[in-house]
Amino acid sequence: MTASKVELPKKPGIPGAIIFSLVFAFVLTVVTMITVEFSLTEILTNFGRRNLVADGLFNPDFGQILSERSLSAFIETLQLAVLGTVLGGGMSMFMAYWATEFGNPIRWLRAIVRTFNNVVRSIPDLLWALLFVTAVGIGILPGLLALFFFSMAVVTKLTSDTLDGIDMGPIEAAKASGSGLISMLRTAVIPQILPSYTSFVLYGFELNLRASAVLGLVGAGGIGSRIEFFRSRGDWSEVWGLVLMFFLVVFLVERFSVTIRRRLV
Amino acid sequence: MISFKNATVEYQPGVKAMDNLNLEIKEGEFVVVVGLSGAGKSTLIRTINNLVPLTSGELYVDGEAVHDLSRKKMRALRSRIGMIFQGFNLVDRATVLQNVLMGRVFKLPTWRTVFGAYPKKDQQVAAQALNRVGMLDRAYSRATDLSGGQRQRVGIARALAQEPKVILADEPVASLDPPTSHAVMQHLQKINQDLGITTIVNLHFLDLATAYGERVIGLREGKLVFDGPGSECTEEVFEGIYGRSLTAEDTLSEEA
Repeated sequence: MTASKVELPKKPGIPGAIIFSLVFAFVLTVVTMITVEFSLTEILTNFGRRNLVADGLFNPDFGQILSERSLSAFIETLQLAVLGTVLGGGMSMFMAYWATEFGNPIRWLRAIVRTFNNVVRSIPDLLWALLFVTAVGIGILPGLLALFFFSMAVVTKLTSDTLDGIDMGPIEAAKASGSGLISMLRTAVIPQILPSYTSFVLYGFELNLRASAVLGLVGAGGIGSRIEFFRSRGDWSEVWGLVLMFFLVVFLVERFSVTIRRRLV
Repeated sequence: MISFKNATVEYQPGVKAMDNLNLEIKEGEFVVVVGLSGAGKSTLIRTINNLVPLTSGELYVDGEAVHDLSRKKMRALRSRIGMIFQGFNLVDRATVLQNVLMGRVFKLPTWRTVFGAYPKKDQQVAAQALNRVGMLDRAYSRATDLSGGQRQRVGIARALAQEPKVILADEPVASLDPPTSHAVMQHLQKINQDLGITTIVNLHFLDLATAYGERVIGLREGKLVFDGPGSECTEEVFEGIYGRSLTAEDTLSEEA
């Protein structure tokens, strides 16, 4: 028996909204290129010109890494990243929890915490550093504060999203057995989010490590201060030596962190 | 033991999940509550441990006035009432033992819960509870690694670990297959007989209700429409409760 031939319904056309968006994106790109006077030839001719910065890149001075001041700045950077992450990540557990309905039954308080989280998140790391350098002066403290707020914002956001998606059943079970708020959190919520949360804190650490390099540019301590010092003197070999070294450290730490994170989730 | 007096629950004005209910449940009874979905079975069970508060009327459980109870006393009352859920409500990532220990939380200081430092005595209570449902050997398995029937047995163990006076079971077998359903019901029945724990079970399978319900309570639109022993439950009685003729879906076994 052969099935009788069937007609597919008429194929729907491409929605107008998609065509419009594509045209809009193209026009926007062209207009932007004209207004910023983008020119490929200029880029190519500039590449050929002799350039002190590029010269430094091909002759990096790794000797700087062993110098006492650069080494201690390096260690300072790592300390900043670790401390900022531990404090910021630790705080974010509370901030995320207080932003949920089951963790904070008081509605207006919840609204305040949520607004605070949103405001903190919208400020980038370098701006934090600038703010705190202005507020508490040049040094390691503004760097630490900047990383604290920055990593708190990131980890809070990610943890909040995880909390939104947890299974509410165990919470009901904990309530039904007479648990208070803290016991409920510990027995029904934390076991559900702990692996993800740990992974988020590690991610926060990776971000902080990278951010800690630029913090020094605005006077907030760490290896960035040394890089900025050599940059202002035009010692490009030293700058590149430190940058490459920093790259190596970030790369190794990230590999390590990514490996752990893969196992967690 | 449990006594409803003119109890009413109104979720929204005009939508009554419990309508002027008067009901007495004595200590040690095994009560099955039947009714269509939306008839107020879950509401009835959840008012007993105050997960759903009464809108009006009175409710007394184990000597406490549930309709007028401080937060602290309410938690103390809840600790004396074990609850079993349709979806098991276990923490999947945690071990079976950790899940069962949740039943001990009320009796311990908060710091012990926070650090997971459960005393030997409480671990023993949890082990006894697991042993009673035949799950002791899986104490260190993760809840995700268990089958549905095993999970519900862990759910029962968690309720038992509270050393409760009352067990509430809200559709405990609705997510299980027929043989497993009977196994779970038999566990509940045996616990009721051995330990004398007052047990209230919501069911929508009528053959299970007649098989296990010493006393069957029928609800329709939040009102009590039947109250009698399971043996008296004929097809006509159930049709009266449901307000329609029965279909194959109303029973667990196929031949209805």
